[in-house]
Amino acid sequence: MKRYFAVLLGVLTAIGGFVDIGDLVTNAQVGARFGTSLVWVVVFGVVGICVFAEMSGRIAAVSRRATFDLVRERLGPRIGFLNLVGSMLVTLLTFIAEIGGVALALQLVSSVHHVLLVPFVAAAVWIVLWRARFSSIENVLGLMGLTLIGFAVALWQLGPDWSELAAGLAPAEKPAAESWATYAFFGVALFGAAMTPYEVFFFSSGGVEEHWSDKDIGVMRANVLIGFPLGGILSVAIAACAATVYLPEGIAVETLGQVGLPVAVGLGKIGLAVVVLGFFAATFGAACETGLSTGYSLAQYFGFQWGKFVRPKEAAGFHIILLLATVLAAGVLLTGVDPIMVTEISVVFSAVALPLTYFPILVVANDPDYLGEHVNGPVANALGVFYLVVITIAALAAIPLMVATSMGQG
Amino acid sequence: MRRTVAAACALLALTLTGCGVVDRPDPAGWDQQAGTALEDAASQVATARLALRSAARERTWSTYTTVLVAEAEEAAASTEEDLSRVQVPRPRRSAAARVQELLSRAVDAVAQAREHAVDGVYDDAALLDELDRVDAALEHEHDRVAP
Repeated sequence: MKRYFAVLLGVLTAIGGFVDIGDLVTNAQVGARFGTSLVWVVVFGVVGICVFAEMSGRIAAVSRRATFDLVRERLGPRIGFLNLVGSMLVTLLTFIAEIGGVALALQLVSSVHHVLLVPFVAAAVWIVLWRARFSSIENVLGLMGLTLIGFAVALWQLGPDWSELAAGLAPAEKPAAESWATYAFFGVALFGAAMTPYEVFFFSSGGVEEHWSDKDIGVMRANVLIGFPLGGILSVAIAACAATVYLPEGIAVETLGQVGLPVAVGLGKIGLAVVVLGFFAATFGAACETGLSTGYSLAQYFGFQWGKFVRPKEAAGFHIILLLATVLAAGVLLTGVDPIMVTEISVVFSAVALPLTYFPILVVANDPDYLGEHVNGPVANALGVFYLVVITIAALAAIPLMVATSMGQG
Repeated sequence: MRRTVAAACALLALTLTGCGVVDRPDPAGWDQQAGTALEDAASQVATARLALRSAARERTWSTYTTVLVAEAEEAAASTEEDLSRVQVPRPRRSAAARVQELLSRAVDAVAQAREHAVDGVYDDAALLDELDRVDAALEHEHDRVAP
């Protein structure tokens, strides 16, 4: 019974924790401009994140060490450093975007300017990172994030022409006014948002925090293979709501308030309140995850004690990194930079950094010294190599597409 | 080797040409920028209108509506300001005057929407009609400038 409960809780928190500020903004933007013609990228990205999250979870469960703890040891300090710099900078950028996202969510209920809220949000995030237990952060915020199901309910209430939505799924159905370069740019951004590197940092390090062993592989797989795809459905619902309400009106999504408005149209105040609570939970949860991931990656690379499974005094370096990252994030946001712009940049650079994150996972997951009988099988390897090729193409295309389309402007 | 250096210099010169203090597009470039500005402004006007209509039907609460419309106002003003800083090519002078006037009208309409949102007045038919008219005019001008 306890095991079933663990699976259920894990799946529910995986669903609720799947969506972050990058998914919220990018899916709404894409839905408003391209209808459902880019939904296939979300599906493709969700399969990709499942493939690599399963590998990194398996590594954590069998070796009892986080993936990036092993990267430096397995691939040497140079590759390890490249991996650290690329992945950590993107995670830090995402951390800034998430803290900004929490401030934007609170702005929607208080009408206090988000810049004024940033110091309080940053302080709250740091206190949670310092004091709260790992399982509390994961479970409470993950379960609260489930309120984003409001988007799926709102879509049903909006009563779109389902056959039209389904017909729009084909890439050829993109609006004629949009160029293929813009379509490709947003495709890469969506892919980056779905496969954002911190998710595997957090997932594998979380496995060590929760003392997974090889007996937990089944539960871990259920979390990944059920929870992540159901979380992906929330992403699709966000895009479909935007497509239903905004595409016919010619409205482009540029703010978090616009992301939630279709829910208000469909469900009214209560639905909107539920979804705004989801915005808060999703961004606050992801702020904690990205903050922790920054600390995990640095501490694991330099080899000092990390994690919330030890007392803060025993992992002083790790907690100092968390504090400095939070101060840095607040400092950047206090310059008045638009958190939505930071989000847009972070999802593009996520795509750029993807090979640096996922290549080492594939290498370590094939090493019998670490995984013994649990090394990748032929299916995991075939999928891993296939995705690595796609990830590399997306990474190479991201910057040229960003320049050529002026960040998707045209 | 010389060719490579020459090509690199030419590329650098070309890149720096596009980095001037004043943006000086050719007529086609200006058309594209004006088209994007008109599209953006139409999007902000439509957002303000949808926010007010949703509030009038009691589907949003007051702070949410205020934030939505205030952000639309800020974005519309920024769109107008950005285009006004672009050097207009001589053949586009009259079109530019028309576009700037229309963008200014859009900013005024969204600012009025914000005033109404702050005051809790969501169903002013005259304002909603003006937002409709501005939206239609922006779309019409967009079709003229960047068909």
